[in-house]
Amino acid sequence: MNWNFSAGNFSLRLPVSEQDGDALFALLKEQSRVDHIPRSAMTVDVQALDELRRMAMRFETREAAFWLVEGLYDKQLIARIGIQKINWMLSCAQLQWELSNAADLPVLQEVMPPLLNFCFSELGLHRIEVRLRAGSEPHETLLQQLGFHYEGCLPAQIEYNDTSVDMALYSRLSTD
Amino acid sequence: MKFTPELSFSGGRVRPLTYDDVDALFELYQHPELPGQRVLDNKDNLIRMVDLSVQMAATQRGMMWALEVDGAITGMVSAFDWQPSLLRTMLRVDGLPQLTLAQRSSALKVCMDFMAEKYHLRNFGYQWIEGQNEEFKTMLTELGFKQSAVMRDAWRSGETSFANVVQFNIVLDKKKPVAGRLGEDSDINPGQNLNGDNNKDGGAA
Repeated sequence: MNWNFSAGNFSLRLPVSEQDGDALFALLKEQSRVDHIPRSAMTVDVQALDELRRMAMRFETREAAFWLVEGLYDKQLIARIGIQKINWMLSCAQLQWELSNAADLPVLQEVMPPLLNFCFSELGLHRIEVRLRAGSEPHETLLQQLGFHYEGCLPAQIEYNDTSVDMALYSRLSTD
Repeated sequence: MKFTPELSFSGGRVRPLTYDDVDALFELYQHPELPGQRVLDNKDNLIRMVDLSVQMAATQRGMMWALEVDGAITGMVSAFDWQPSLLRTMLRVDGLPQLTLAQRSSALKVCMDFMAEKYHLRNFGYQWIEGQNEEFKTMLTELGFKQSAVMRDAWRSGETSFANVVQFNIVLDKKKPVAGRLGEDSDINPGQNLNGDNNKDGGAA
């Protein structure tokens, strides 16, 4: 199975540990890009290498898959989008994204349909859900514009910076 | 070492699983409550489940209790997806047809109270799956749970069929624990072993 594919003017590919560290660090060192998860931004570049190795290990066990989204021609990294906690028995997975400023709605409208199609058709998943910090704008608006359904809010799911964080829940089904 | 306590409630008790329970548990799993859940045809898995119940409790990943009424096992209470550092867990009760709602509710509450007191858990979740007894939702609401989300097709009930999952949560208005050393014998950071002088929440197994 080929896990790399193109989507309009963009390519989605699995990361390569030896070559993607700098670009990933540049993306994930901005706190605003990971606030919705929520998670602390990276502060030193070796964290990106560690993250790449973790991604590779999680992919090996087919527990998760993360794609780097790059411009098809300029090869600039504009987002990381992944599915994790893949449950092959229940045919579902959790989607997570970190977006640069360039990854706006028109870009996501090019990228997300092929990505979801890959998850549903190639991987055979039925449900893709997104859990993110409740009140995370513009992410929640983007999800709704991309056809995700709001399902509710799970209270006190994460302890982050001494605060209990509620997580909003969105989903797309293969039958939507 | 003992990790799962025996707890009494009006009309019954919950207690740790033992190998002697295999036949009763096998009978319990002849009456699956979840849509698509298969009737168990092999007792070997139940022996593994008893082992697992000890391992899960010892490592704070989950806890399983046999639910007894009048000395006979009529159900099970399970805590799973236990996240100690996030102060939350999910709960589930499986029961024979004769297990009443009141008994189910009392057993759930006594287990919840124990985990809140002993391990400072604040957030308990319960997933009701479409097709289960509707009265379970009322029972959860009466216990203080609130509906958090309706998760579409989140439960697989067959090869190509799915069921919605309604998630309920109760978040206790309870002070969060402060950090302590692992194994420290204090109210703030209790060890897992329930044997010994500090066993004030449950009797010996």
